[in-house]
Amino acid sequence: MLLRKCGELRQRYGIELSVVSITDITGTAYSGDGIDLRLALERCRRGVIDYPGAEEMSGVEAIREIEAELVVEATPSNIKNGEPGMSHMLEAFRAGKHVVTSNKGPLALEYWKLVQEARRRRVEFRFEASVGGAMPVINLARETLSGDRVVAIEGILNGTTNYILSRMTSEGTSYEAVLKEAQELGYAESDPTYDIEGIDTASKLVILANAVMGMRARFGDVKVRGITRITPEAVRLAKERGYVIKLIGEVRDSRLEVAPRLVPESHPLNVGGALNVAMLECDVAGRITVIGKGAGAIETQSAILSDIIAISRRCGG
Amino acid sequence: MRISLDVELEDTPGQLLRALEPISKHGGNIISIVHIRDEKRPSRRLCVHLVMDVHDRETLEVILEELKSRGIGIARVGEDVRKERLTLLLIGHVVDTDLRDTIDRLNAIEGVLVSDLSLAMTHPEAESSAIVSIEVSQGTDTEKLMAAIEEIAREKKLEIVRSLEV
Repeated sequence: MLLRKCGELRQRYGIELSVVSITDITGTAYSGDGIDLRLALERCRRGVIDYPGAEEMSGVEAIREIEAELVVEATPSNIKNGEPGMSHMLEAFRAGKHVVTSNKGPLALEYWKLVQEARRRRVEFRFEASVGGAMPVINLARETLSGDRVVAIEGILNGTTNYILSRMTSEGTSYEAVLKEAQELGYAESDPTYDIEGIDTASKLVILANAVMGMRARFGDVKVRGITRITPEAVRLAKERGYVIKLIGEVRDSRLEVAPRLVPESHPLNVGGALNVAMLECDVAGRITVIGKGAGAIETQSAILSDIIAISRRCGG
Repeated sequence: MRISLDVELEDTPGQLLRALEPISKHGGNIISIVHIRDEKRPSRRLCVHLVMDVHDRETLEVILEELKSRGIGIARVGEDVRKERLTLLLIGHVVDTDLRDTIDRLNAIEGVLVSDLSLAMTHPEAESSAIVSIEVSQGTDTEKLMAAIEEIAREKKLEIVRSLEV
């Protein structure tokens, strides 16, 4: 993406980005003059260790030792303890580096600790990509709807469960049958627990509650129920009454809840396939609804890029 | 506030308009108009049933005064209590866990009325689904209602899927 967009970034924003290091599970590739991204993409199918001069350096070390202005933290999310992302982010703040991340684990567990640490160290910390993938929510609420107070948020924040429920609705098939197909098509993980039990939605909801509504919410505050008990009969009954069943995350009046809900067919929150949707209830603007692709490696890059550009413009890089 | 109003008009052209004018003049919003032609009514008078939204009681009084001064008879004035509809989908052993009790517990909350129920049973031993419509009057303790729903779900091991807030 950076390779593709570097000309555009230069032209539109006068930004020159140079990737000085990349760390993955295999090690760290680095170059003070900037990594040759084309070469990296060619050579590093297995991992960055195949890049000329790469070393077995951990993420924390790389963040500490290598000179850079901004760290993009995109390691797998871990809702148990947030690692390794948590350590990466804290180390980056300590090293005076800005952070852009898509990693929701650390944010869902310790939102305020991270935000306050970044503030203390006077670095930028942005995480639009952690909720809703390409669908803008956090920045939309905080920066564009800056004059409004968001009093409630409702949405579908997990594409896997939406895909499953959408198909159950349109085909009348069983939950197990659709899940199996979803796994085969790559819409669901081989261990889909976090998605179907609503844990993924809950972690995103907590981030929104903190980031957009200024709450002091913790992951444990969310009442969570997943979609495992939804039957084809239930879906049919709901349909007869003009409703569809969706896994909705809702924050309202200090109540955080993830649960299957009955959504009227004509309601803006009734989006199909694997799409995500977020409805913000604003005190001035009223209800604002955003729909977009939630997950997806490419789509998420939109959010990461947007955050990198924002920091770049703010800090005159 | 929403008001239902039955007016008696002479069955001559322009009467309905004369009845509607005071309402719109004072900022009332007409929701529905239903003509009821009743042969039994004496002196060729028509009954029209109106539903309207007016700002407050004072405005309503002003409107009623003007209607009277125009010779329009007022047969009935009623305040429509705003009701919200909540729909619950129950999944589990809905019937076996004493469906009567489930309905009673919901009705026991002031302002709550179970108005409709549909049941889908695939097999006597298997789990079933039921969809319940509930009318919730304004001023109902929604916290109490939510708590009751949660307790029913927990006790009876039912999955209860609620409709979105209105």
